[in-house]
Amino acid sequence: MKKQCIVCIALIALLSLVSLPLFSQGTAEAAKPAGPVTIELWYGAAITEAGPPPADWVGFQIIKDKLNIDLKLTALPSNESDQDVKVQAAAAANNLPDLFMVRRDVLTRLVPQGLIASVDDMYAKMPIRTKTHYDEVSRSHARFNGKAYGLADPGSIIKNEGLLIRKDWLDNLGLAVPTTTDELLAVMRAFTFNDPDGNGKNDTYGYGAFQEINNYEAWPGRRLEPIFGAFGVDGTWDMTASAAGLNLFKPEFYDAMAYLKQMVDEGIIDPNWLAYKKDDFRAAWKQGRFGIMREQNAAYAAQANYAPFDKNFPNGEWIVIDAPKGPKGHASIGPYTANFRIYAISAKAEKEGKKDKIAQLLEWMASDEGYYLLGWGVEGVNYTKDANGVPVAANLPDANLAFSAPGGQTVTQLRNMVFYNGDIELYARYPKYVTETSKKEMSALDVMRIMQTKKWTAAIGSDTLPIPNADLKRFYEQGLSEFITGKRVLTKDNWNKWLDEFKKLGGQDWNDKGVAFAKENNLLY
Amino acid sequence: MRDIKRHRSVYVLLAIPLVYYIIFKYVPIFNGQIAFKDYMALDGVLGSQWVGLKHFKTFINSYYFVELLRNTLMYSFGKLVFSLPLAIILAIAIYESNRPRLRKVVQTLAYLPHFLSWVIMYGILLALLAPGDGILNDIIKLFGGKPIDFLTNTKAFPWIVILSDAWKEMGWSAIIFIAALMGIDPSLFEAALVEGANSWQRVRYITLPSIRPVIVIVVLLRLGTILDAGFNQIFMLYSTPVLSVADIIDTWVYRQGLLEFQFGLATAVGLFKGVIGMFLILGSNRLVKRFGGNSLY
Repeated sequence: MKKQCIVCIALIALLSLVSLPLFSQGTAEAAKPAGPVTIELWYGAAITEAGPPPADWVGFQIIKDKLNIDLKLTALPSNESDQDVKVQAAAAANNLPDLFMVRRDVLTRLVPQGLIASVDDMYAKMPIRTKTHYDEVSRSHARFNGKAYGLADPGSIIKNEGLLIRKDWLDNLGLAVPTTTDELLAVMRAFTFNDPDGNGKNDTYGYGAFQEINNYEAWPGRRLEPIFGAFGVDGTWDMTASAAGLNLFKPEFYDAMAYLKQMVDEGIIDPNWLAYKKDDFRAAWKQGRFGIMREQNAAYAAQANYAPFDKNFPNGEWIVIDAPKGPKGHASIGPYTANFRIYAISAKAEKEGKKDKIAQLLEWMASDEGYYLLGWGVEGVNYTKDANGVPVAANLPDANLAFSAPGGQTVTQLRNMVFYNGDIELYARYPKYVTETSKKEMSALDVMRIMQTKKWTAAIGSDTLPIPNADLKRFYEQGLSEFITGKRVLTKDNWNKWLDEFKKLGGQDWNDKGVAFAKENNLLY
Repeated sequence: MRDIKRHRSVYVLLAIPLVYYIIFKYVPIFNGQIAFKDYMALDGVLGSQWVGLKHFKTFINSYYFVELLRNTLMYSFGKLVFSLPLAIILAIAIYESNRPRLRKVVQTLAYLPHFLSWVIMYGILLALLAPGDGILNDIIKLFGGKPIDFLTNTKAFPWIVILSDAWKEMGWSAIIFIAALMGIDPSLFEAALVEGANSWQRVRYITLPSIRPVIVIVVLLRLGTILDAGFNQIFMLYSTPVLSVADIIDTWVYRQGLLEFQFGLATAVGLFKGVIGMFLILGSNRLVKRFGGNSLY
């Protein structure tokens, strides 16, 4: 026993000796010259299927040499829910990184916890960046109780989606582009039952979709907004001052539901729509399963995305059409709001005195050097400039290292932190090209410009309105889907009963809070 | 000390799982107090305010509590009732087979799905079951039937969950039974052969009674996690139209607890599940003991 005690004491003494330098670190550090400041950044990857910047990426060294910053990068998961879980798990452990991308919904939960630093003082420290990235709408996007808690960078371009139809199918069947909901029904029927691709098989449908929802495009979500837009009830919220509130409460919402139910019952919408995830949906239109859809410009027309469709259907052709008009003359592709990517600074980083360094880093990113390096890589290696000064992936010694090629994509993973949807970016991102099989000239930028001319519903700020709790959200989504799938019979009586139950569960309160918030923040028009 | 030194290799082996259990199972018990607190990350576990049973009440009074409990138990018991017998049957079939090559092939094919993630399994299920172009629906249509929306139909969905889990895990679950079968004294089978017992009689009177202790232990251990109905699987397979039969306690906790930053609530539900599981193990173990079976302890 005595011997064991002696061994224990000796071990403790030894451990104490070993750990002594750890406790005296502060004194030892003070004597050394100031080393680089470590900034931990959790970023949203620009190309989710490509890896992170390599360890020997030239950017790390430049940032260290010029800014005295040791940048540590971690890519956030591409899925939004997974992103939220990762950020919130770190927050729960009070272990948030110094600078991180975060969705606004999550930010609303982290701010009351005292985990996020205010960024109001940052704008003055970043004059170049503030000019290009942070206008007044951006500054108010992440403002809570009068203080900004997030740097809202420009996100994806607004109105960059459209309603597309297979023109070759219309031509094959001798049909005109539908302009009303009745005509749309007729075309969907023809696409489903009249063999529009002429392959002799009953394997096509009128409309294709999947459930893509967010806090301003509630169930059934974005892909069916042109249908709901025809009834004037696209989007979760009506943001007009005269009729502000949840669209769900409007009588026209019932009419839109009845129209969608008819599409389902007649089998003219791809029956897989409830089971599809995004990739399944995109694989489906490339395989010619349906002839009408709402799709994003680049997801449709960018070279890599259009290539499989072009190969499968060299004579196939999609065109962007106007949103169909409903019985009362309404039409809309869907609601649009200002899109932002929010970067927040943790309170921990502020406490450690890193805010100024973060401002320096972000400002450098907005400089010409940072902008081109993060946006396209190294000139002569990852890109060259054309006669107009637009970066292009041409005349490079190694084509695989081009910013658009697999070998070069990794060095542009932070490009969303520097891009602000300027013309150079758009020309570089969406170059004109000739398709491989059908030799068509395509441009995702031209497609986007056409999409932007169509009729949309302004809903700026509707993505900042209060969100329902998980049970109410489920009640909303489940109830609507059950009416569409037939589990609940869609009659006026059943609909009103369900609405009453929804209101009792908290729906009315959610509506009232949303309207009050919109009024307080001058979001109604 | 001398004993420890002499058997040090055994102690080293013991240390690895012991350290695992201390770090990942015992240390987190300290954080279980979050279930009774209004957890604020800045205040930490100890500094957060006590709120008593608030989170438990929130969970029990939640709008979907009964449905969540019903669905969770339905999937847990469903998987137990379907997967376990299938695993036992597979184990016996593999053991009884006298074609070693066939045995190996079947064993490998049965294990394989276990190593596929539910993301991949969803892709396979979609290819098989999609109402538009799923293989199964193509067959149904070939015979003049109407396609079934297996993945979005509330009647079909529970069966898809239970059967796909059985398919994925049957081979892996069979391993423990195959190990138990290997331990049966071969002389028992030889004696049965001499007595003229056929295959079925050998299984009924020798094989099944011999592996009964293992079956009891597996069932007891499964009861301990009866409120874990398989988050990964349901999370991948479920969609809005089937929420009424698909939402389980864990998916609710994911949405209400993790996504809404209510870690106290998430911990309270975890604790609730743990306590129920513990009582189920204690109760069923006592029952097994009373009826003379092989209990856990």
